[in-house]
Amino acid sequence: MLDIIFAELIVAAIITFFVREKLAAIIAFFMSLLPLLALLDWASNYGFAIINLGIESHMKIYLAGVTLHLAITPLSWFFALMILPLFPVIMLFSYSFFKENDGFFALMLLSLLATFGILLSRDMLSLFLFWEMMSWSSFLLVYRSKDRNAIMSYLIFSVFAAFAILFGIIILWHENSSLLLSDILNISGKPGFIAIASLITGFAVKAVIMPLHAWAPFVYSKCDESFVAFLAGGLSKLGYYGMFLFLFSLKGVDILQSYMTNVSWNYLLAVFGALSAFFATLIAILQDDLRKLLAYSSIGQLGYIAIGFGIGTPLAITGALFQAFNHAFFKAILFLTAGIVAYRTGKWKISELGGLAYKMPFTFMAALFAIFALAAIPITSGFAAKWLIYEAAIQQKYVFIAPIMLIAGVGAFLYSFRILYGVFLGENRHDNVEEAPKSMIAALFILVMPLMIFVVFPGYMLDLMKPALQAAGMESIAHTKFAIETSLAKYNSIAVLITLMVAMIPAFIIYKARKHRVTSFEDNYLAGEPYELHKPSMHAANNFYKPLKKVVLPYLEPGATHYFEKIYNGIKCASNAVRRVYTGYVQDYAIYVVLFLLFIVGWLIWI
Amino acid sequence: MVNHPVLLIAIPLLTAFIIPIFKKYGAAIAGGAIAFNMGYAIGMFSHIYSNGKIYETIAGFNPPVGIFLAIDALSALLALIINLFAFINFVAIGKESNYKFSMLYLLAIAGSTGIVITGDIFNMFVFFEITAVASYALIAGKKDKKALEGAIKYMVLGSIASSFILIGIALIYSQLKTLNIYDIAARIASMNANIKWASFAMLLTGIGVEAEIFPLNGWVPAAYQGASEGVASLLSFAPSKAAIYAIARLMLVVFPFHATYEIALWIGVVTLIIGELAAFMQEDVKRMLAYSSIGQMGLILVAFSLASQGLKYALMASLFLIVSHAASKSSLFLLSKSEKMYGMAGKYTGIVSVLSLIGMPPLAGFWGKWYLMLSAMDEKLWYVIILIFFAGIVETAYFARYLHRSIGKDGESSLRYKAAMAAMASFAIIFGLLPLLYKIASLPLWGG
Amino acid sequence: MDMIGMAIKIAILIAYAIIGTCVGLLFMGIGRKIIARVHNRVGPPFYQNFIDVAKLLSKKTNISHGWIFDLALLFSISGILLTLLFLPIGGAQLLSMDGDAFLVLYLLAIPALGFALGAGASGNPNAGVGVMRALVMMLSYELPFVITLIALMIYYDTTSLATIVKMQSIDGIKSWAITMPPFMIAAFAADMALQGMLMEQPFDIPVAPHEIASGPMVEFGGKYLGSLMLYKAIALVAETTLFVDLFLGGGVVMHSGVMAAIINFFVWLGLIFLLFVLSILIAASFPRFRIEQAFGFYWKYEAIIAAISLIWVYIMVIK
Repeated sequence: MLDIIFAELIVAAIITFFVREKLAAIIAFFMSLLPLLALLDWASNYGFAIINLGIESHMKIYLAGVTLHLAITPLSWFFALMILPLFPVIMLFSYSFFKENDGFFALMLLSLLATFGILLSRDMLSLFLFWEMMSWSSFLLVYRSKDRNAIMSYLIFSVFAAFAILFGIIILWHENSSLLLSDILNISGKPGFIAIASLITGFAVKAVIMPLHAWAPFVYSKCDESFVAFLAGGLSKLGYYGMFLFLFSLKGVDILQSYMTNVSWNYLLAVFGALSAFFATLIAILQDDLRKLLAYSSIGQLGYIAIGFGIGTPLAITGALFQAFNHAFFKAILFLTAGIVAYRTGKWKISELGGLAYKMPFTFMAALFAIFALAAIPITSGFAAKWLIYEAAIQQKYVFIAPIMLIAGVGAFLYSFRILYGVFLGENRHDNVEEAPKSMIAALFILVMPLMIFVVFPGYMLDLMKPALQAAGMESIAHTKFAIETSLAKYNSIAVLITLMVAMIPAFIIYKARKHRVTSFEDNYLAGEPYELHKPSMHAANNFYKPLKKVVLPYLEPGATHYFEKIYNGIKCASNAVRRVYTGYVQDYAIYVVLFLLFIVGWLIWI
Repeated sequence: MVNHPVLLIAIPLLTAFIIPIFKKYGAAIAGGAIAFNMGYAIGMFSHIYSNGKIYETIAGFNPPVGIFLAIDALSALLALIINLFAFINFVAIGKESNYKFSMLYLLAIAGSTGIVITGDIFNMFVFFEITAVASYALIAGKKDKKALEGAIKYMVLGSIASSFILIGIALIYSQLKTLNIYDIAARIASMNANIKWASFAMLLTGIGVEAEIFPLNGWVPAAYQGASEGVASLLSFAPSKAAIYAIARLMLVVFPFHATYEIALWIGVVTLIIGELAAFMQEDVKRMLAYSSIGQMGLILVAFSLASQGLKYALMASLFLIVSHAASKSSLFLLSKSEKMYGMAGKYTGIVSVLSLIGMPPLAGFWGKWYLMLSAMDEKLWYVIILIFFAGIVETAYFARYLHRSIGKDGESSLRYKAAMAAMASFAIIFGLLPLLYKIASLPLWGG
Repeated sequence: MDMIGMAIKIAILIAYAIIGTCVGLLFMGIGRKIIARVHNRVGPPFYQNFIDVAKLLSKKTNISHGWIFDLALLFSISGILLTLLFLPIGGAQLLSMDGDAFLVLYLLAIPALGFALGAGASGNPNAGVGVMRALVMMLSYELPFVITLIALMIYYDTTSLATIVKMQSIDGIKSWAITMPPFMIAAFAADMALQGMLMEQPFDIPVAPHEIASGPMVEFGGKYLGSLMLYKAIALVAETTLFVDLFLGGGVVMHSGVMAAIINFFVWLGLIFLLFVLSILIAASFPRFRIEQAFGFYWKYEAIIAAISLIWVYIMVIK
């Protein structure tokens, strides 16, 4: 069945390349449901609870003389539930987003194919093949942006990641003389250490962990939002999928530890995660470009997943997976919202926007929900995820990481409000803006659903990831439908929600006790003076966090990008030096030939 | 029908001599000859591919006087690539070429094909001469200052190279009294060690000039920059591939020693690094592609040197790399006719070519890098692997810049041109998806 | 039986919500009186704030700026009540077994965010600036606060406030956290953070009546302002209670029995009153910081003080 899906996706990609954009969107929408349906069908055959039978549905593809092994595993099942739903939603969103068909849908279908392949791969070669397919299909999507920094940084970092992964894979292949993932069990010592470390480095590029994040702000801020929604929501999760696969499912942690027993290697991952959560949050606060803000916010939020993996206890990993799931959805919503804002107003600078909430209430509501989830407000599922990671850090007494990520969590409030206030609230600056098209609104609210479901039933999420954890040899933490219990404390979602609703009653009574009338603030603020007379700017959005900027900015510079540019310049210097060898004079070249001859003769005869 | 591989050389040579008589129809006749050659090469290749056979034929006289041809899967593949791409290339540029150009083109093809299918070292030299002379003229054919500069540089170095090749052959002949490669290989142990090494050094230097290895490649940037797009494209798949094949053949059959392997390996690595670094800062597209070619030739040399150690994966790697490089570079050179990519066909040709060169699956270039890594890992060549990775990232950087620069819709071009580019680039996809090259590497090799 | 238990629990929760509100309003009135006395004025009567709230809530003219503006009212009161009920108050656990300190930290953000939404929706630039200041203040004082919180959490090996209170009340006053040297330092840092949380001088930067016309609430009037006053009153109780729970054993001095409950309640009341008076006195004696100064104060000095206590505790724990 899987090979048919692959074939159908390729055919659909070719077809959508040539038809008109609306039709392409419809075809792409239905085709992108296929993998999800296949997985659901498969799961319903085997039952949702006992899905760790994974290896049974084995499938082989023969390509250029090699065999690719594919199968569904509990881990891929969980990540598929997280990533694959984004595709149909994005296709739905894009139905009216594009004015012409320039290959977006075809490339998205290829990305979907690659994602599906990565999740199903059971040997390293097919993992790498699909991984690279993902890289180039997403690169072609980035290429549409026509932005130099985005194109160059994305391709260079992708290839760097690919080489790091390839390096790890060939070492593992050399040590085991097998490419099957199930064979990577008993290697240890230096080769194993190098292999796992370079694999993690490679995945960290896609997982956007600082300092390998330098491509993300460029790419996230310059490409189509509907694609970036997938990039930030889905693709980054694939990096964490790879990490989870090699660190926990295949016991890479033990391989790392067997090299040097007195160093906790995965703590390093947690530190990098914490630093990226912290610094990215601070940088995000200071951004004015909506997409850049979201980009840095993504880096910060993804940092929490890295922290969870770095801590490495079942509690932390549960939190990390939960956070990954939430992030996939709320970041997709936010980028799609940015897309809607740009679609309707053509602007991305927060200081030029404002007052859109009353014009597009549904968009605002979806964005508000996503922002609640992002800021981990306990009325969305974002809280439970972060709470689990905090608990894990306290449980392990990680006193360096815990305060950093808590304060990054507070920082999230700051940039959340920047989005809410700068874009949606404040002075209304756009009189002739309408609500987004229905397909876009529908896409947003489909994405809101899981955030609402899993706040009421955080236990369901834990049930979902249970097989994946068990397959990695970890016990699921104690939970009921509503409550999660750790050795430190308990979190009961229903108690919070019910109490909030009950507490709404007095507030509602106060609200309803006296009538109010709605007026524009200018009546109050300008004392009824005609607003058109002065047209003063009433939107305090320019350089919003100026006092903070003054204090913080000196500590944030020069930033990682600066160092990558230094490397780039170093290669430039080397390049210029090498070019001096080619003098342009044929006499010199003739001398080279003779010298070369003498060198070879000398080597062979005397050495 | 495929039992007369000598036709592969004879037809283009004869046609080339006939063309001056029918000046007006020169291009058409040349096109016909190349089409025949392509068809014949395909037939021969498929025959060898399905039967796994090796041809050894003697045309006319007995060796060492006559033309001794030896064709195995490797040389059949090379002959196929050269003739196939020659045909596609000629489709693009044939219409605007005059009879002189067509003639030279045929000579270059005949020479390159000769190099890969001959089993006689002296014949190889002769074919080198034919190819080189034709190439000088083809480069100079553009008749501007840069073209002449390139041609002269190539000519000077090429002449030195041929004399070295000749001396190398003479050294071998003085000891073994034979020119048959198989014969030489069988009796190489009986040679005086110093003369053996000297002859290897001479041959490597001589052929190395054609194969664009560092530091013998001073002519490369100037020649590629000066030549017209079609010729640059031709240079990238015919003479250079034939030359690297010749080096590989010598290393696989005649000099399979550890010392030669080490030399070739490190020269390959150095060529790779130097080529990629030099391309990094290059502003001129054709020069950049030329330097990039140098780097790729280094990579192919690394693969072949590993293959000479009897590593099956390395041979596969070299086949994939050759195909990928031929397909990508020839189409990119055609594309370099204008600053920007032309339309959709140009855009996707450029992207596929670049992606294949930087090693993205499932394109041919990926398998090249993949098998090269596997075989380098087998030999535990850590530094080589890391250097190749480094070169790969440098390569990616300048190709990313190239891709960004060439975004645009201007520079419309004829349908033939676009079709040719797309066809060339498509081979990077076809060979990447089909297990063709995978199987070739497991077929028996001549003299191996 | 279970139903009766539930009913009793709900009744207790409602009672504490009402008590919290009244105590808050009362304290605010007393605070005004104290400040007046420090300034050598007579000041309003201590019940002035009850009158103010009643007056505001019963105003007939209310001006709204749309449904998002109304969210401020709904979320500020409900959110702060929610927070209050998740705190152990004077030995009564209320809902604190269903959550922990992290939850309380994030619950405190609900009313603040609702308030900020309303302020933003009003469209007044002063409101935007005010909220910006409030958020930067939050980022500032949370760092030392969070560090001290973590010091407590790793010492008691729990994140639950109820457990922290329980473990501090084993020996009555002797086992309160503040009796231990590292936590004395931590308590100092946390008290400074509390000053910022309560938005009292020198950290009343967000409201800053003389600079930005009361900042976030510039457009609030009538029932909206009344509800904000209620919010502030309850927030005062909740934030001081959080401090008492963390460092002063939640005010628990006795165990078991009705008598103990009453005594504990009054100890708690006394402690939060002391904390409040302390903050009022600081407020009455210092001028306002600028926002950068406040940020620097918290992230440099306070954070270092808090970090010292954290490191101290960490060394104690791993031994």
